[in-house]
Amino acid sequence: MKYTTFNQQNSNPLAEPMFFGNPVNVARYDQQKHQIFEKLIEKQISFFWRPEEVDVSKDRVDFQKLSDSEKHIFISNLKYQTLLDSVQGRSPNIAFLPIVSLPELETWIETWSFFETIHSRSYTHILRNLFSDPSAVFEDIVLNEEIRRRATDISRYYDDLIFLTQLWQTQGEGMHQVDGVTYPVNLRELKKKLYLCMNSVNALEAIRFYVSFACTFAFAERELMEGNSKIIRLIARDENLHLTSTQHILNLWARGKDDPQMQEIAEECQDEARAIFMNAVEQEKQWAEYLFQHGSMIGLNKDILCQYVEFIANHRMAAIGLDTPFEVKSNPLPWMNNYLNSDNVQVAPQESEISSYLVGQIDSEVSVDDFGDFDL
Amino acid sequence: MTSETSISDDQPAQMTQDDRFVIHLDEQTSLTCSKDKTLLESLEAQQVDVHYHCREGFCGACRTKLLEGEVEYVTDPLAFIDDDEILPCCCVPVSDLKIRLA
Ligand code: FES
Ligand SMILES: [Fe+2]
Ligand SMILES: [Fe+2]
Repeated sequence: MKYTTFNQQNSNPLAEPMFFGNPVNVARYDQQKHQIFEKLIEKQISFFWRPEEVDVSKDRVDFQKLSDSEKHIFISNLKYQTLLDSVQGRSPNIAFLPIVSLPELETWIETWSFFETIHSRSYTHILRNLFSDPSAVFEDIVLNEEIRRRATDISRYYDDLIFLTQLWQTQGEGMHQVDGVTYPVNLRELKKKLYLCMNSVNALEAIRFYVSFACTFAFAERELMEGNSKIIRLIARDENLHLTSTQHILNLWARGKDDPQMQEIAEECQDEARAIFMNAVEQEKQWAEYLFQHGSMIGLNKDILCQYVEFIANHRMAAIGLDTPFEVKSNPLPWMNNYLNSDNVQVAPQESEISSYLVGQIDSEVSVDDFGDFDL
Repeated sequence: MTSETSISDDQPAQMTQDDRFVIHLDEQTSLTCSKDKTLLESLEAQQVDVHYHCREGFCGACRTKLLEGEVEYVTDPLAFIDDDEILPCCCVPVSDLKIRLA
């Protein structure tokens, strides 16, 4: 089915499935098939924040004091976060908007992606403060083997869905040949790709991000890199919402509250969905190995981080009706809860200097010495 | 429960009595909670560990099975919960409860 930016066919959005129904026409929110997405939009917008509001200037001093192995942990972690948000800032838009059928879900996807771009911009804010030229850090994200391996797995499911959607929207259903490879294109195949993609996004938002948060907050527990931690807390609050949205989508399908064919697919592909989760867990553990290869840091090491991955994975898998495959029963990093608590994250102007003001402040602080050689 | 209630001694005792409920965690453990705190706050005040992130009903980290009883939400819960689940961070008990923590 060809995509149209304004579907002139009169469709009833209350009777459409979330995806692969008619393209959306009127952006109306007075009535909603799935009210939850409208609520998520409101909540997300109420969280609006700007990275520049957070003063990260003190981190520069802290960073110099870190040992080499701690620097490796900190910077690698930031690189990984940058990769994750680079993917999330564009992919939900490109993959899901061409196939979405409900106005409230369409706008949720756009709102969600927009906030991921705020996250991306905040990494530049953080890195610019630490290095006069952060190019080397950014450039390594595409060169570093460890990061590339993760990127491959994260983008694969998106890319599959995007490619098949493109074939379907330009050539319709059938067997289509591209560069000597034949692709069967039909609605069921597309929906399968969508289902797997949504699971992979859920694993990204629900597990991968939390591993990186743990590393950030382990520094903050030692009162180091607190500007960075403040930013990551704002990001984590947004991510809590994103993971809720993908859990809702998966559960609406699995419980037959949306598209009956998606319910069948959810059953049929449950093992594959589970494998996506288990794979993400495995990769995050390998990542922990890489992070701590030159040594641990106080409060966090490879084993504790791996336990935390398992603990979080149990929770997230249970939330979408999967089993809880890991032994770990109690939270190995109990302090994480304090950092993920949304009460603590408001950017209060009175406590954190706004950095744009700070620039003005520095300019206006002229000491007598500056005029030392100035004779009248 | 705790003694920090602001109701003075000369007020009728049943006013607070009506707002207190027994929460059963398992066969052996039960405690009393009042309506003026979220279920999560009440549990924490009595040294019961509950997993949480947001404490505002949108992340789902505190999801808990409700086996018996009824709660009332003080904040509209946005996180996904099953029909037999509650979010302790944003609800208060309105009857005695039997719950099973994750
Ligand atoms: S702690 Fe987030 S929903 Fe309860
Ligand atoms: Fe993000
Ligand atoms: Fe996200």
